[in-house]
Amino acid sequence: MTVRLLALSVLVLGCLVIGLIAGSVPLPLSDVWNGLLHGTGAGAAIVRDVRAPRVVLAFLVGGSLGICGAALQAMIRNPLAEPYLLGLSSGAGLGAVIAIASRAAGPWAVPLAAFLGALAAVALVYRLSLVSGRRLDPHVLLLSGVVVGAFAGALMSAIMVLSDAPGVRNAFLWLLGGFGAASWQALAVFTVYATIPVAILFYHARSLDLIALGDETAQHLGAEVHRVRRVVYLSTALLTAASVATCGIVGFVGLVVPHAVRTSFRPLHRSLLPLVFVAGGCFLVLADVVSRTAVRPLELPVGVVTALVGVPLFALLLRRTLA
Amino acid sequence: MIIEARSVSVRYRRSRPLALTQVSCAVQPGEMVAVVGPNGSGKTTLLRALLGLVPLEEGSALVDGRPVASWSRRQLAQTIGVVGQQEETVFPLSVAETVMLGRYAYLGALGAPGERDRAAVQTALERCDIADLAQRPVDSLSGGEWKRVRVARALAQEPRALVLDEPTASLDVRHEMELFELVSELVRDGLGGLVITHHLNLAARFAQRILLLDGGSVVATGTPSEVLTRETLSRVFEWPVAVTNLSDGSPQVVPLRSSKETL
Amino acid sequence: MGCTMVFSHRSPPIPRLRMGGPIFSLYRRRSNRSNLLSTIIVGLGLIGCERGAPPRGELRAVDDARDTVRLQAPARRVVSLIPAATELLFAIGAGSSVVGRTQYCDYPPAAQAVANLGDGIRPSIEAVLAQRPDLVVLYNSGQNAAVAGRLGELGIPHLRINTDALSDVPRVSRLLGLLTGHSHGADSVIAVFDTALAHATVTPGARRPKVLLLVWEQPPMTIGRGSFLSELIERAGGENLFADVTTSSGVVSIEAVASRNPDLILTTTEGPAAFATRPEWQVVPAVKRRRFLRVSGSEFNRPSPRAPSAIRELAQRMRDLTR
Repeated sequence: MTVRLLALSVLVLGCLVIGLIAGSVPLPLSDVWNGLLHGTGAGAAIVRDVRAPRVVLAFLVGGSLGICGAALQAMIRNPLAEPYLLGLSSGAGLGAVIAIASRAAGPWAVPLAAFLGALAAVALVYRLSLVSGRRLDPHVLLLSGVVVGAFAGALMSAIMVLSDAPGVRNAFLWLLGGFGAASWQALAVFTVYATIPVAILFYHARSLDLIALGDETAQHLGAEVHRVRRVVYLSTALLTAASVATCGIVGFVGLVVPHAVRTSFRPLHRSLLPLVFVAGGCFLVLADVVSRTAVRPLELPVGVVTALVGVPLFALLLRRTLA
Repeated sequence: MIIEARSVSVRYRRSRPLALTQVSCAVQPGEMVAVVGPNGSGKTTLLRALLGLVPLEEGSALVDGRPVASWSRRQLAQTIGVVGQQEETVFPLSVAETVMLGRYAYLGALGAPGERDRAAVQTALERCDIADLAQRPVDSLSGGEWKRVRVARALAQEPRALVLDEPTASLDVRHEMELFELVSELVRDGLGGLVITHHLNLAARFAQRILLLDGGSVVATGTPSEVLTRETLSRVFEWPVAVTNLSDGSPQVVPLRSSKETL
Repeated sequence: MGCTMVFSHRSPPIPRLRMGGPIFSLYRRRSNRSNLLSTIIVGLGLIGCERGAPPRGELRAVDDARDTVRLQAPARRVVSLIPAATELLFAIGAGSSVVGRTQYCDYPPAAQAVANLGDGIRPSIEAVLAQRPDLVVLYNSGQNAAVAGRLGELGIPHLRINTDALSDVPRVSRLLGLLTGHSHGADSVIAVFDTALAHATVTPGARRPKVLLLVWEQPPMTIGRGSFLSELIERAGGENLFADVTTSSGVVSIEAVASRNPDLILTTTEGPAAFATRPEWQVVPAVKRRRFLRVSGSEFNRPSPRAPSAIRELAQRMRDLTR
C-alpha cells in the first residue's frame, strides 16, 4: 500500500516537473528551481506566474473531469459515459457564443456565460427526465442529454452564422479548450469552488459501487438510491461546468482515464476515485505540455490533444479488455 | 412475524387495474414461505410491496411489526437480505468484494471494514460453499456460482429474513437442489425465508407454507398438500395436471399432455 | 470579424512584390524608363484619348485564379464583393460604375449609397444578379470558387483577386482601371500611392520596437509575418513579435509572449479590449506599463490608398509610446 502511494507520488511529481520545464520556452531545471523558490533567474516570472498555476490548474481540472466521468459511468451503468453527456458541452458552448455575440463586457464574461449555459443545459435535462415520470433514470438521462445537446448545438451554430459581432466565429476556438487563461487567481477560484463537489463524490464512493449493480439491488443493500443520484448528478454537473468555464471543453479525460484505471486495477470506487483523480490530473498536465510545445510558439487547443491521444489510447484499452 | 402483508392492494398506474388485491402474507423465523402462481399473477409486485418499493393503495406492509415505510433503507438492509431476479455486472468485482458490499448497511459511506465485517463475509462465503472462489472476478463464474455469491452477499447482511425472487431461473438440477437445500438450512437455523418461484415441486418439498396467487389475488394459502390440489392447479394454470405424493408426503405436480392422459 | 479577418490575415506568397502576367509587363516596364520619356508618353496619351472613351477591341486580363476575363467594353455595372476593391474603384474614378457592394464596404462614404448585397464570401447569387452586373469582383478564396463557377455558367464576367498586401494596391488598381476604362485614374492613384508609401516608410533605427499584434484574447491570438497589419508595422519601423509564425494567425501562450517581451501591444477595435485586466497577462511588462496601441479604422484591415497615412499614424504613435 505504501509502495503504491510512493509510486503514485513519484508519478505526480514527475508530471508536474515536466509541466514546469517544458513549454514554448524550454527552461532548464535550475532556472525552474530558482524561479519557484527564490524568484530569481531568467524566466522566473514565467515559471512562477504563468506556468506554475497553469500546471497545477491542469492537474486539478484533469482530476475533476476524471472523477466526474467515473461517477457518471457508475450512475448510468455504462462505461462509455463521460462528463459532457448531459448536454453540458453544448450548453457551455451556447453560453460562450451568446456572450461573444452580445459583446458582453469584461474578461470574465465568456467563462461565466459558459458556466451558466452548462448548468442551464443540465437543468433542462433534469426537467425533461421528470416529464417522463422516471426521474434520473439512466436511459432517460442519456436521451435527454443527447436531445438537449443537439438543440443547444443548433442554436449555437445559428448564432455563429447570423451574428456579425466580431470574433463570434472565434468562439469555437475558446471551446476547443486551453489553459492559456491560467493564473493564481483562476486556480484559487477553481480550488475553492471545486472542493465541495469533489468531497461529495469521494464521500459517495461506496454508494456508487452499489448503484452500479442496479437501482433495486442497491436499495436492497441499503442505499438511498434517489438521494444519492440527485447529489452525485448535481455534483458532477457543477464540477464539469466549472471545468468548462476554466478551460473550455476538454474531452476524453473523463472517458478514457476511468476506463484505463478500471481495466488495469478493477478497484472499488473507494480506491478508484482517488486513482482516477491522480491519473486524470497527470494526463491533462502532459496533454497541456504537448499543446504548448508541439507547434511552438503557437499553441494547440488542449481539447484537440486529448482527443488525438485519447482515441488511440481508447482503442488500445478496448483491445486489452476484449482480448 | 418478520415480514407481513395485511390486505395489501397495489395499483401501478391510475388507469390500470389493481396489480394486487387484498393480499395477506406472513413470514416467521424458521419458516419458509413459497409464493407461486402463473406469469403476471403479482408475485414480484408482492415482493416490492413487502419491501416498501411501491406505494400501497390499501392495506399495510410491516417489518418486525412496524410499517415498512418507517424503516430507512439501511435498517431494512440489516434485517432483510434480498436476492433479486437479475443484476447488472457492468463493472465486475471479485467475489470477496461483492460479498463485502453486503456490509454496506453496517459500514455506511465512510467506514472501513473491520473484524466483524470480515468475519461476516467469511461466514457467508463458507455457508454458501464459495470460499475457494473468493478472489475470482464475478464475470468468470457460472450461473450457479453467481447465484450463490448473491446469496452470500445477502447473508453477509446478517439478516433475520431472506427474500429470493426466482432463485432457480436458468439453473440446472444440481444447482437448483443445492440452492434450495442451502436456503432450507438457513431457515432451519432461524432465518425467515420468502421464496418466489415458478418451480412448484421444489416449493412443495422445501417450503412449510405456500401462497398461490392468480391475477393479483390469493387463491389458496396453507401447507403444500392443502394448496397444491389437482382442481386448484388445473384451474389457476389453465392446464391439466396430476398430483402425486412422495414418500415424505410432499405433493409433486405433473403436467399432463392432454386432458385425457392419466397417470 | 469574419470578412475583415479573412482579408487582412492571409499571407501572400513571398516575394512580396508580385509581377503580374505578360499583359502587365508592358505597364511595368514604364517605371524603368527615364522621367522625360514617361512624361511625353503620358502627355501623348492624354491628348490622344478622351477619358472614359471605350478603347477599340477586347479588354483582356488574367486574374489571380488564373482565369482570363474578357470584356467587349469597359465595365459599367460592377459588383464589388471586396471592400478593398470597392475602395479602389472609387479611388480610380469608377465609383459611378459600382452597382453593388458588401456590408463591410465602408469607405469611401459615397460607397454607402451603393446597394448592399451582404457578405462577400459566398454571396447570394440572386442578390448579385439582381444588379445586372457586367463585371463581378470576388475575393480569391476557395469558398468563392463555386460562386465563380456559377457566374461563369451564367455568362457573367468575374474577377477573382487577392487583396492582402500593400503590393496589391497598384496591381489591382491597374487591373480594375483596365477593365473599367479608367486606366488614367488608376495610374494617378498608383503614382500617388507609390510616392506616399515611400515617404511614409520609416527607415528602421538602431532598435525596432517589438510589437505584439493581438487580434483576439480568449484564447490569445496573433497574426504572423506576411499579413497586412504586420506589413504596416514593419513599414512603420516596428517588428512583429511573432515574425517567425508562418501561418496567418494562431493561438499563442502567454509565456511565449512574456519571454519575447514586446515593447508594445497593438489591438484593433474589433479585437480584445479587456485582456489587460486579466491576472495572467500581468507577467508581460508591456501590460504592466500599459504600452497599448489601439487602432481603429478599416485602413488598418485592408490594403488601400490610405495605407501610407495609416503607416504614418502607426509610426507616430509608436514613437510616442516608446519615448
